[in-house]
Amino acid sequence: MAKIYKTLDLTGTSCAGPIGELLGVMDEIKEGEAVEAIVGDAETAKQVREWVKATGFKMIDDREKEGKYWFVIGR
Amino acid sequence: MKRIVVAGGGIAGTIVVNRIAQKLSEELNRGEAEIEVLTESEEHIYLPGQLLLSFGIEDPSSLVKKEKYLLDSRIKLHTGISGKMKKIDVANHEVITEDGKIHRYDNLIIATGVEYAWDEIKGYKEGSFTPFEMDSAMKLRERLADFSGGTVIINVSKLPHRCPVAPLEVTMLLEDIAKKRGIREKTKIIYTFPVGNPSGRVFGIDTTNKVISKMFEERGIEVISPFNVSSVDPDKKVIESSEGEKINYDLLISVPPNVGSRIIQDSEIGDRRRWVPTDKFTLNMKGHSDVYVIGDATDLPISKAGSTADFESYVIANNVANDIKGNLGRKSFDGSVLCYIATGMDTATYIRFNYNRPPVPPPPSYVHWWGKLMYNKMYWTVTAKAIV
Repeated sequence: MAKIYKTLDLTGTSCAGPIGELLGVMDEIKEGEAVEAIVGDAETAKQVREWVKATGFKMIDDREKEGKYWFVIGR
Repeated sequence: MKRIVVAGGGIAGTIVVNRIAQKLSEELNRGEAEIEVLTESEEHIYLPGQLLLSFGIEDPSSLVKKEKYLLDSRIKLHTGISGKMKKIDVANHEVITEDGKIHRYDNLIIATGVEYAWDEIKGYKEGSFTPFEMDSAMKLRERLADFSGGTVIINVSKLPHRCPVAPLEVTMLLEDIAKKRGIREKTKIIYTFPVGNPSGRVFGIDTTNKVISKMFEERGIEVISPFNVSSVDPDKKVIESSEGEKINYDLLISVPPNVGSRIIQDSEIGDRRRWVPTDKFTLNMKGHSDVYVIGDATDLPISKAGSTADFESYVIANNVANDIKGNLGRKSFDGSVLCYIATGMDTATYIRFNYNRPPVPPPPSYVHWWGKLMYNKMYWTVTAKAIV
């Protein structure tokens, strides 16, 4: 089980965008660590999944709960 | 006696401390409260103005003032070694400065801003100009004055960074200058951005990205994204990305990697990029109800911009005053941001948004350009002094 380095609440509007915010944190994680990301809409959730696939990161968990999308992403 | 310490004297620290002084005016007059600002520099730079400086619209003298002239006269300002922080000790509610003095607090506001991690990318500083540093902005102004065409690359190295719309503005200002000087056909402009989902992305917020991408397309600005710069060769004038791109340039305009202040790392109160974990609504440092974080220092996924700090200052000033004297109620931050976006040398648009309402920039106009210039001019007399 990967250790969560940081939880990112990406449900709000951010200039870097959800992927930009994720990118800034994923660069910092070490072996065996992961980032938990919370996303508020289906379109952004789709972008996160595509980005994880394209960059070669590992989608450890992908869940929908109470209208939000919870991801755990590792190396 | 209640003690309030503001760690940092930049835009965020200055606005919030003046607003707190207004809220605690009677307590300050009666000697029941004391407010201190700790900052190494005596000078206060209006950082957003450096963009306009690069294009010859502002001059350095209009962007730098003495911090002491901006503060409410009842606020104690410590600069030099008396203001340089050695440790922020949130467990013991004190900040220690280089002169050995211990500043105990009832409330602390962390406003320590951003530093640039140039070393993260080999050759990046040497091979580029940036409006994000005063010296480089002045050199860029000289370079642009002589610019007669060639390949210009605007590169965003890492996200998030302060003043997120600045690289969009640089790109469009440059395109407009080239057009007005009659050298547009001899000028290739390439905008490079770390995130490329969807393809050709230029900005993080989808609604804004759509509008600005269209402007870039109509104006013949090439976009390469994702483009994560890995190195720059300043002699050969080549920029490389981790995606395998290698581009020759005549002029490279950069956005340096941003990290939080060194004092955050030394005090072990931040994450690995030195951002301070912050509650998005209360603006408290997580786990510390007597500590607030403002401006660029937070780890909030929002916007590292002066206007963000201004909006945050209302919440923090109110809540600090409420912590001290009660009866004011607590305010909650809604994620408000306002950024003007120059789209040319006499036109601009803007984005105004919060956590729940993404922005769609209105059509560019001279009115918004005027608004941008006025917003800059009014900083010293209105915004910094928390007049409104």
